[in-house]
Parts: sequence; C-alpha cells; structure tokens
Amino acid sequence: MRATGGPEIAVGDVLLSVEAVSLSFGGVKAVSDVSFDIRKGEIRAIIGPNGAGKTSMLNIINGFYHPQHGRITFKGATRSRMRPHEAARGGIARTFQNVALFKGMTALDNIMAGRTLKMHANLFWQMLRVGPALKEEIEHRHRVEEIIDFLKIQDIRRVPVARLPYGLQKRVELGRALAMEPELLLLDEPMAGMNLEEKEDMSRFVLDVNDHFGTTVALIEHDMGVVMDLSDRVVVLDHGIKIADGTPDEVKNNQAVIDAYLGVAH
Amino acid sequence: MVAFGQFLEVLISGLLAGVLYSLVALGFVLIFKASGVFNFAQGAMVLLAGLALVRALDLMVAKGMPFWGAVIVGLVFAAAVMSLTAYLVERFVLGPLVNQDGLTLFMATIGVTFIIEGGAQMLFGAEVYPLPLFPTDAWFLFEKTFEGGILVSKIDVWGGMIAAVLVVGLALFFQRTKTGRALRAVADDHAAAQSVGISLDWIWFIVWLVAGLVALVAATVWGTKLGVQFSITFLALKALPVLIIGGFTSVPGAIVGGLIVGAGEKIAEAYLGPSIGGGIEYWFAYVLALAVLLARPQGLFGERIIERI
Repeated sequence: MRATGGPEIAVGDVLLSVEAVSLSFGGVKAVSDVSFDIRKGEIRAIIGPNGAGKTSMLNIINGFYHPQHGRITFKGATRSRMRPHEAARGGIARTFQNVALFKGMTALDNIMAGRTLKMHANLFWQMLRVGPALKEEIEHRHRVEEIIDFLKIQDIRRVPVARLPYGLQKRVELGRALAMEPELLLLDEPMAGMNLEEKEDMSRFVLDVNDHFGTTVALIEHDMGVVMDLSDRVVVLDHGIKIADGTPDEVKNNQAVIDAYLGVAH
Repeated sequence: MVAFGQFLEVLISGLLAGVLYSLVALGFVLIFKASGVFNFAQGAMVLLAGLALVRALDLMVAKGMPFWGAVIVGLVFAAAVMSLTAYLVERFVLGPLVNQDGLTLFMATIGVTFIIEGGAQMLFGAEVYPLPLFPTDAWFLFEKTFEGGILVSKIDVWGGMIAAVLVVGLALFFQRTKTGRALRAVADDHAAAQSVGISLDWIWFIVWLVAGLVALVAATVWGTKLGVQFSITFLALKALPVLIIGGFTSVPGAIVGGLIVGAGEKIAEAYLGPSIGGGIEYWFAYVLALAVLLARPQGLFGERIIERI
C-alpha cells in the first residue's frame, strides 16, 4: 500500500525530517528547536511526560499547526505552510488522542470516508450515481471490506460509531486512517484508556500494518511496555525540548529521560 | 359530508403549500449542518435564482427561441449564477471568517442577504415577472362524493412532486456518494474530516451550491405561483418557524415542519378565521413556533443539546 505521487523512497531512508522546529502559542512555547527524522518502514515512538509537546508535534507534521521556525521535509520536499488536507493528499494519515470519528455515520461510512482522496469520479456522475461513480463506489467498497476483515470488525459494519465501545471506536479510527493507504501513519495514543487485552490487539494491528503493508508509523504512547515492544526508535520530549533519541534500550537507560519521568531533586 | 370535503380541501392545499416552506427550510438546514452557519441569505438566494431564471427565459423567448428551449437555457443560466454566488460567498465571506463565532457568521450572512438582494435587482430588474412554468388552474376531485368536489390546484401538486424528487435525490446524494459522505463528515468533525484529506473550502462551496440549487427549485414553483418579485424573500422568512418546529439540524424535521406550518395555518384560517377575524395565516406559524420553543426547544427532530457542567 503506498500513496501516489512524490519520489519513491527506499526502506531505511529518511521519509520525514523535522529540523529545528519551534512552535509557540502566544508566550507559551509548545515545541522548541526540535529535530528528528522518521525513516521509511520503521515504527517511531514519540514519548514524554504530559505537556511535553508530543501532540503538538503530530499536529505540526500533519499541518494542523504551522511552526514559527524550522523546516519539515516529507518525501524530499520541504514545505512551509501545508494544510491538513494537503498533508493527507501527500500520504500522511492520523488518528486522534480523543477518538475523532464521524459520530453520526456507520463504521463502514467512516472507513469509506477515508477513501475520499482515492475516488475521482466528478460531482455530476456522483449526483446521478451512474457510470464511473457507481463503478468506483463498488471498487472502493471492496478495498474497505479488506480493511474491515483485517481489523476483525465485520460484525459492526452497519453500527453508528457513537454506539460502539471505546476500544472498537479506536479500531474504526485506525481503519479510516488505513483506508487512505498512507505512507506515514500518525497514531496519537492508540492504546489510551484500553484494557490489557485491547492493548494487545491494537499492538498486533500496528505491527501487522507495519509488516504487511510496509507503512511507516509514528506513535505517541504512554505505556512504556508497549513503546519498548513496538518501536524501532524512540524520541523523547520534555517541556517542548528533545531530551533523547535512540533505540528503546538506549532511551530507557538515559539519565535525562529517567529524570524527566521521575523528577529530580534540585 | 360537505364539511368533511371542505376540511380535506383545506388540508390538502395546506400540506402542498407547506412543501414550499420545506424547500426553503431545507436550504437552511443543509448549510447549518455542514458549517454551523445560520444562513439568513437563503430567501435572497431564492429571489436571485428566480430573477436569473425568468430574465434569461424572457430574453430567449424574445429572441425567438421555442419556450422549452428557453426554459432549459434559463435553468442552466440560473444554475451558473448560483454556483458563482456559492463560490464568491465561500471565497470572500465565509473563507476569511473561518473558525469565527456562530453569531459573527450569522451577521455576515445578513450582509450577504443585502448584497444579493440589491445585486440581483440591479442586474435583473425589480419588477414582478410572471414565470409560466407550470399550469396554474385546478382540478376538482371526488365530485361524486362531495358536492362541488375538492379543489386542488395543479401548481401545488407540481410543487409537491418536485419537492419529493428533490428530497429523494438529496438523500441519495448524502447517503451514497463520496461528496455526500464528505459533507456529513465535515458536519460531524472538522479536524477529522481534514485529516482524511477533505478540503473545508471545497465542502463549503458544495454546500452553498446545493443550497443555491434548492433555492432555484423553490423559485420555479414560487415564481409560477406569485410571479418572481421581491416579496418572495419575505415568504422565505416563513422557513424560520418551520426550522424551529422541525429542528435546525434535521432534514426530515424541515420537511415535517413545513407540512405542519402549511396545513396548520390554512386550517386555522378556515376554522378560526371567521370567529377571530382572519389574517391568521400571517402569524399562526410564529405562534406555533413559540409554543414549540416553550415545550421542546430543540424542535421536534433536533438533537437535544446537553451541556456538561
């Protein structure tokens, strides 16, 4: 699964790089001078205590926030002010910390909405619902059914998502992001609020997405066990500053990280 | 039997007149759902669509084109005018005001109302233009059962049929197409919609376009009934009580609300009119809306708003 457009990037090469990015809201610095990269095919974790700037970082990558300083290069193209739907067009998909599904719609329609960019029939055919538009709907419905099978949510297809339990909502949200066939998948606390069994399921899905589809994943997560098991490399933020970057083992033993999490006597 | 026949006649004409209120209310609901904007300009858009249609039609007829050809040219021209309006409103009014308070956007649409009303009359003229699209005579039904039969005017029946086709078409469009899904997605969650690649600018253009086309449909029926004239914009204000009764966010609510207002005011006029002195049609809808506000503020079909404290 890969999005169209842009140069092909080999596994292990830099897919996205963040260089000296700073973002502040009024006088509050959310992110200061942070640099790191995400390589194609890896699972990259972004961790840090509450208020470290993790979600801000994700919002910068997919265009919700525009940093005041710094550069972001995705697939070799450096951008200044990219808007979220343009990021999506470039192959960046995401999920949200507090599930952001289309509540009035069924699970199926939510995931179909993820296909929006892949569908090209013009408005006129869509209105008549004939010819190319109908063919397209059927074709994309097949792809969506594959995702539904993959996530094992066949039985809730027709259920309005507002009625689903939290764990399943998170899964539908992942499905919607997968439907975009992204090159880079951003997951904002995919396991927050889940019980152990749900966490294990979700971890398996993330690994499978990465293995089978070769999708590059960047995730924010608080559960250190999950982070250590899943990720190839970890970047640690604290108060908007990068304090460590490396493999899970390196990060785990880094004194600055331990201090940030446990507090340090001054 | 005469009394019942008369009741049926009043009820049917009321329901069919109500369909027209529903048509305008539908335009309001579409925009409100997708963008949270209460579009005060919907009535002005009916006027604009009607004027564009009738003036292009008259011009073509004057140039010797057959009537049906002129109708097609008129409809295409009016549709083009409505798309241009949708584009201009999105580009120069709502686009720059994105993320502003609902009241700010509402005030902006009041401004848009004056611009459309003034612009439309400046470009297309400010007289009363007859629009003979549909037959305006009447049928007399069940003459055997009821003395004198039941009078049903043909234009009302046309209006009802057109509205039914429009509603079914819109329902299919919203439920089964990519753009319809995108519209519902934006209505539910702006950020999530953007994250799957839906452009808000594009969607807002589409909603205004759809509302403009709904206004055009309403204009064909109202224009035939009353002639295309400025007072159409006042009739469009009747959509407000319809929305309050039906609920601002509900398409079925707009339809049922329209029917209730249409039938209610005609029945009130016929049966209460003689005893309290007529003219009930003009205020009945508003009193009904007030009663609904007291009993069920979210409207019959609206979502109940529960605020967390």
